[in-house]
Amino acid sequence: MKYIIKLAMVMIPLGLIIAAVPENTTKQYKLTAQEMINEVQTGQQFVHPDAIAAQIVSNDPELQLIDVRSKDEYDKFHLPNAINIPLANLLNPDNADVIDQGIKTNVFYSNGSTRANEVWMITRQLGYKNNYVLLGGLNFWIETISNPEKPRITSPDDEFAKYDFRMGASQALGGGGQVAPAASAPSSGSAIPAVTPKPKKKRAAGGC
Amino acid sequence: MGPLIVNEIIPEGLNLFLAFVIGIGFGFVLESSGFSSSRKLAGMFYGYDTTVLKVFFTAAITAMLGLLFFSLFGWIDLSLVYINPTFMTSAIVGGAIMGAGFILGGYCPGTSFCALSIGKLDALAFIGGLFIGVFIFAEGYPLWETMYKANNMGAPTMNTILGVSRGVFAFLLIIVALAMFVVGEWSEKKFPRDEY
Amino acid sequence: MEQTDRSKRYLNPYVGGVLLGLVLLAANFVSGRGLGASGAIKSAVVSTMETVAPQHVATTKFYTEYSGSHDGGFWHNWLVLEMLGVLVGGFASGAIAGRLKWKVEHSPKITSKRRIIFAVIGGILFGFGSQLGRGCTSGSALSGMAVLSVGGFVSMAFIFGTAFALAYFVRKLWI
Repeated sequence: MKYIIKLAMVMIPLGLIIAAVPENTTKQYKLTAQEMINEVQTGQQFVHPDAIAAQIVSNDPELQLIDVRSKDEYDKFHLPNAINIPLANLLNPDNADVIDQGIKTNVFYSNGSTRANEVWMITRQLGYKNNYVLLGGLNFWIETISNPEKPRITSPDDEFAKYDFRMGASQALGGGGQVAPAASAPSSGSAIPAVTPKPKKKRAAGGC
Repeated sequence: MGPLIVNEIIPEGLNLFLAFVIGIGFGFVLESSGFSSSRKLAGMFYGYDTTVLKVFFTAAITAMLGLLFFSLFGWIDLSLVYINPTFMTSAIVGGAIMGAGFILGGYCPGTSFCALSIGKLDALAFIGGLFIGVFIFAEGYPLWETMYKANNMGAPTMNTILGVSRGVFAFLLIIVALAMFVVGEWSEKKFPRDEY
Repeated sequence: MEQTDRSKRYLNPYVGGVLLGLVLLAANFVSGRGLGASGAIKSAVVSTMETVAPQHVATTKFYTEYSGSHDGGFWHNWLVLEMLGVLVGGFASGAIAGRLKWKVEHSPKITSKRRIIFAVIGGILFGFGSQLGRGCTSGSALSGMAVLSVGGFVSMAFIFGTAFALAYFVRKLWI
């Protein structure tokens, strides 16, 4: 009998504590602050618009552009085949299959780099891989792809090659040298297969 | 952090090694508590020895509290811990069949291995029976597949069904368990047996 | 507790329970699941059948469903290694307490033979029931209760409920 009393003296207070505190439902961050600093410093999450443009033009099925601006801004203008996940909806479970998977390469973009980079940091800290950020955001995209600056006549040849590529890309993408044409480049989407969600994080299989 | 293997913190080989170590702990505790004796186990159902009840429920509430506190401290992600799915029909029918097996055979699978390890031959017979039972289930699977998969409720937990938080349910379970322990102690005094 | 026979001296059940709970907690912490026993037997049955009658296995639904959800084979099965550990751990505890002995444990009212027959019958029922119920006392009931699974509580209630209900009719086996 005295063991029961001892057990009760331990279990009941612990039970009261656990009944009183709120449940811990926060998702754990997988990376420590220091690891995060190291990753941010290398800046390897940034992808240059040229690389993205080349992938869009070649209809690379691995590319998944994700517009992290608001829905209004997305509706006004977005890159071809981009999907819209505003920052506020980032942790919506419906989006987990898109941002946490190992098949496609996600590239976040916003107007500048900052918002997209914030999104990337959150996903990275949650331990998600395969996420990148469009360097300079849409502003830089327009500067480089939609309205490429003609190189000076004295520039080296590869500058001209780059310019030709950008002009070609901007035409192929329907940018046509205009700044953010309203609702241009509707998503064609045919070449890009739907995201195949990676199997859910393997919970351990059943016991007995 | 936890569960270690789901979060890929430890390699597969180490996981299997830890399975072995955890098994040793499991076997050691079962044997030390007397679960290697079928008559001690069966005593539960005649009231002369309620060790099974005490060990079983103490273990359940200890592990439950541990998991809840680990979760509270952020040491384990409970959403990644396996929660046994609930198939209501098969849980009831299977449970009833297991209950019959328990009272006739005197062991459950875990305790029979434990009893075999110290040389109980009836446990060896029981394990032989287990193999036959599993084999019968496997061979006749189409016959009971419908029942096996009927009433799939997903993996609900008791607290969601009752509409309380996990912590509140845990507290209630602790109270219930302690009350059962008191009944168990009373029963052991009421139906004593010296030798078994 | 005035028992003098060393082999009759067991751990206090509450102490044992707390220790068992800690083992279960460790299992959950390491592998994200609880303990189990009948799963190891299922794995052994499937592996045996795969060796003995591979063609039969390939065409029988139960085995193909099993192979579909498990990979790595017999020796890479978590539960198999855990049950090997149980044998070692049980042996160690039995050796320390002086309980190692070949014997058939039965009520003085029945013969060893009768005990063995009922052990086999009980084993068959338990083996069958554990497959139907997706786990035995440790895998479904104990581990399920620790994670508050409804199925765990239901299994537990019906295992013990049925055993209680039938206890009177088979009392000669035990008392």
